[in-house]
Amino acid sequence: MGALRWGVGSVATVAVYAALFLYAEAQSVVIGLLVGAVVAMVMASRFDVLARVGESFARHERALDRLTFAACIAVAALFHDQHFVLLMLATVLLYFVACIGLNLQFGHTGVVNFAGAAFFGVGAYAAAVLSQHTPVPHLAIIVIAGAVAAVIGSVLIIPVLRTRGHYAAMVTIAFGVLFKTFLEVNDTLGGPQGLKLPGMSVFGIPFNANIALSDDAEISFYMHYVVLALLLAAGAYSLSRRIERSWIGLNLDAVRLDETACATFGIDVARWKIVAYTIGNALCGIAGAVYAMMTGFIAPNNFTFGDSLIMVSIILLGGVGNPRGVMIAAAVVLLLPEKLQMIQEYRFLLYAVLVMAVLLFRPEGLLPRRLRAYFPGGTS
Amino acid sequence: MTAPLLVCRGLTMRFGGLTALDALDLDVLPGEILGLIGPNGSGKTTFFNVVTGVYAATAGSAVFAGADLTRLTAQAIYRAGITRTFQRSRLALPLSIFDNLMIGNHRRLDHGLAFNLFRRVALKAQYESAVDEARTLLATFSVPLATRLFEPASAVTMIDRRRIEICRALISRPKLLLLDEPSAGMTHEETRELMDDILLVRGRMPGLGIILIEHEMNVIERVTDRCAVFNYGKRIAAGTYAEVAADRDVQQAYLGQE
Amino acid sequence: MDIGLAGQYVLNGLMLGIIYAMVAVGFTLFFGVLDIIKFSHGDVLTVGAFTALAAYAGVTALGLQSPWLILGVIALAAIAGTAVLGALIARFLIMPMRGAPPINVLLLTLMLGTALRESVRLFYPNGSNPKMFPRLLPGGAANFGRFTLRYDSVLIFVAGVAVIVGVSLLINRSKLGLAIRAVAQDAETARVMGIDLEAVVLFTFALGSALAALAGVMNGMYYSEINFNMGLLLGLIGFSAAIIGGLGNIYGAILGGFLFAALQTIGAVLLPVSSAYKDVFAFAAVIVLMAWRPTGLIAEKSSERV
Repeated sequence: MGALRWGVGSVATVAVYAALFLYAEAQSVVIGLLVGAVVAMVMASRFDVLARVGESFARHERALDRLTFAACIAVAALFHDQHFVLLMLATVLLYFVACIGLNLQFGHTGVVNFAGAAFFGVGAYAAAVLSQHTPVPHLAIIVIAGAVAAVIGSVLIIPVLRTRGHYAAMVTIAFGVLFKTFLEVNDTLGGPQGLKLPGMSVFGIPFNANIALSDDAEISFYMHYVVLALLLAAGAYSLSRRIERSWIGLNLDAVRLDETACATFGIDVARWKIVAYTIGNALCGIAGAVYAMMTGFIAPNNFTFGDSLIMVSIILLGGVGNPRGVMIAAAVVLLLPEKLQMIQEYRFLLYAVLVMAVLLFRPEGLLPRRLRAYFPGGTS
Repeated sequence: MTAPLLVCRGLTMRFGGLTALDALDLDVLPGEILGLIGPNGSGKTTFFNVVTGVYAATAGSAVFAGADLTRLTAQAIYRAGITRTFQRSRLALPLSIFDNLMIGNHRRLDHGLAFNLFRRVALKAQYESAVDEARTLLATFSVPLATRLFEPASAVTMIDRRRIEICRALISRPKLLLLDEPSAGMTHEETRELMDDILLVRGRMPGLGIILIEHEMNVIERVTDRCAVFNYGKRIAAGTYAEVAADRDVQQAYLGQE
Repeated sequence: MDIGLAGQYVLNGLMLGIIYAMVAVGFTLFFGVLDIIKFSHGDVLTVGAFTALAAYAGVTALGLQSPWLILGVIALAAIAGTAVLGALIARFLIMPMRGAPPINVLLLTLMLGTALRESVRLFYPNGSNPKMFPRLLPGGAANFGRFTLRYDSVLIFVAGVAVIVGVSLLINRSKLGLAIRAVAQDAETARVMGIDLEAVVLFTFALGSALAALAGVMNGMYYSEINFNMGLLLGLIGFSAAIIGGLGNIYGAILGGFLFAALQTIGAVLLPVSSAYKDVFAFAAVIVLMAWRPTGLIAEKSSERV
């Protein structure tokens, strides 16, 4: 049990599969690949492969994390001249960053937030305003956008701390709807038409220009964004892991599981809720800022309640509290409708039904979180 | 005679029209085991909740280590050195046994953001000494249980969960421990084992005061130094078990019912 | 401001208030019997309104002429359809979740709402576009200066009040209502006392859903238009109204419904910038209210025991 080869094998398989999936154009091939994936998953859980892979990841976590990072780069390199594929990859990575934030709030601390898309939008609009009207360097804009999302989120802190359960859910839903309505009626922020943004430029590198390799070969300019998004994703992942594997992660779990009991052991419930809530919203804002500068155009319709629900679905499908599961779920949820044209129209319905099935039959998610190992594999 | 650990005077708790604690006076001495007995609904658990800051007392005072507990938050009361177990087990079942103990160890761990996120080497040292301590403490109750430190709390039996809960309350080395019916739902044999463990711990932690809510009279008789009897939120008697059992009021209110 | 215009705002607020109150009463009924929030309630309302519209197409194809008769038939169709839908949701989606964390039920019904909404959009003919809702009530209006009193508005309002009074009588006076209140008080004890828990739950969900259908039909007649998205905002408003009133309390829900309509009206009239901010104002006010009274204006029935 726990041999490194199982983990390496699974990362390689997923990477090859992702490449094939992104290559596939014909709908029959896409469907074939999907059926193949489902069959493979059923077989894998049948023959204990999943358990072995899980053990392997638990034991060789550090090596496999690096391999996963390298696999992401390899897949992106394979599609280096295809704008659309790279745009999708970067979008998946940015959604992953935002969902890691929401996962810290909901999955770890039990603070519900149905306004994830709104905080993503706060970051996006902050980036739009700053990049259009100020000379602030673009990397700084990303940081500021995260801070703005955290500050705007802090307006909700009092009602979020004072309310519980349904009442807290209502507060965040109301905020999400309020935010989108506000954008639609506010002419300074472009109203329903939204805002345009210039492309990013970091250390003099214009992100929106292709990179010439030779006279007839180029790398798509989206590669810049993929690399940036990958770095952010790695940072968010590492932050989430460090939080989980420390006394802080324990405090967050204790707050989620029993507020009264943990208060009698000195745990400051309000403090940890605020910490999780602030970090989570900041991650949403950061992701939103990069997303806005990457797409060059944002409108209120990108940040609806439906989008917030998609983020929550990603967390529930992936496995509440499990960042790896969130990664896979983000990829599936965002890529599937892009590749499988026939479900594009039906995607909200499909995810709604899928999440309902998960809640009814496997409420811990498809890849449930494991017990906390503070120092997995004996390394620090 | 040593100064009392906890001095309650006129402690009162009302919920709307219901008076759950009625001008209660009670002292607890260092190193003693005080039994709390009384019929259901007589205010025993409410007393624990007021002393640990879950409820804010309506009137009166409870002075512990120079501070009035009725003015402190639950967190501050824990830091002052009072811990408890709950009548119905309130462990964090999905977490490991170690995690559950560390929830109780809160005041002796470093919770700074920078320490936890960036000083992993220092964190590891703190973690390793905490593991040793948790294992040692658990082993005084049950050696097999101590080997299962990294299994989920949901995987162990009822009596083991009770032991974990008591260890969670003990690991921060409190001065006063409140045990809310630790024998509930256990067989006589298990109860006996658990009480022996508690006596053992008391022997190793001199000065630790324990308040024990218990319905089994033979347990009270065997382990407590003194008892207080509650009825309708009032303390109707106090003294050794023999004195209390001979009290007419007590017989009428409580023993007479059996 | 002109008195007539002020009257117009008040009337408009009352119309919104009665519709919101009907939706909020449903939320509070469900919370009462099962301690859960059924977020799909607003989308059940949409299904009700579209059922009525489909029934309208059916009866006019059959050659029915009398507007009153048509109204009766389509309202009954909407009530029957959503009552069955509500009971099915309770039986197959919500009852199996008993014992699961309440937040999971909220998530489940959020997703169910999305599924219903999307189903209407995708499967109702041309469902993604707004639909004309037929005018079946007598037209005409009385004018008092700048104040116009449409007769159909009066009828809708009276019908709404009658329905709410009817439901509260049913809950407070009837044997069935007693069973519902018993379950709301303590489901286990009610079961021991011989009350068929499942039957009470199913009936409550049918009743609440039928209320939503009526609110949907009334909303359609008031605006003469319905769309697949109408339930999302109405559901959220109903949820907010039930919460600011205090969950589990019918009168709180009614109060919350009118309060929310009042907030929107105040937002539309008094905001210096633009009346377009009325929803922003109303939701912001709700959030502030929650910070002030975290369990609503009329506090929730139970508190945590240790």
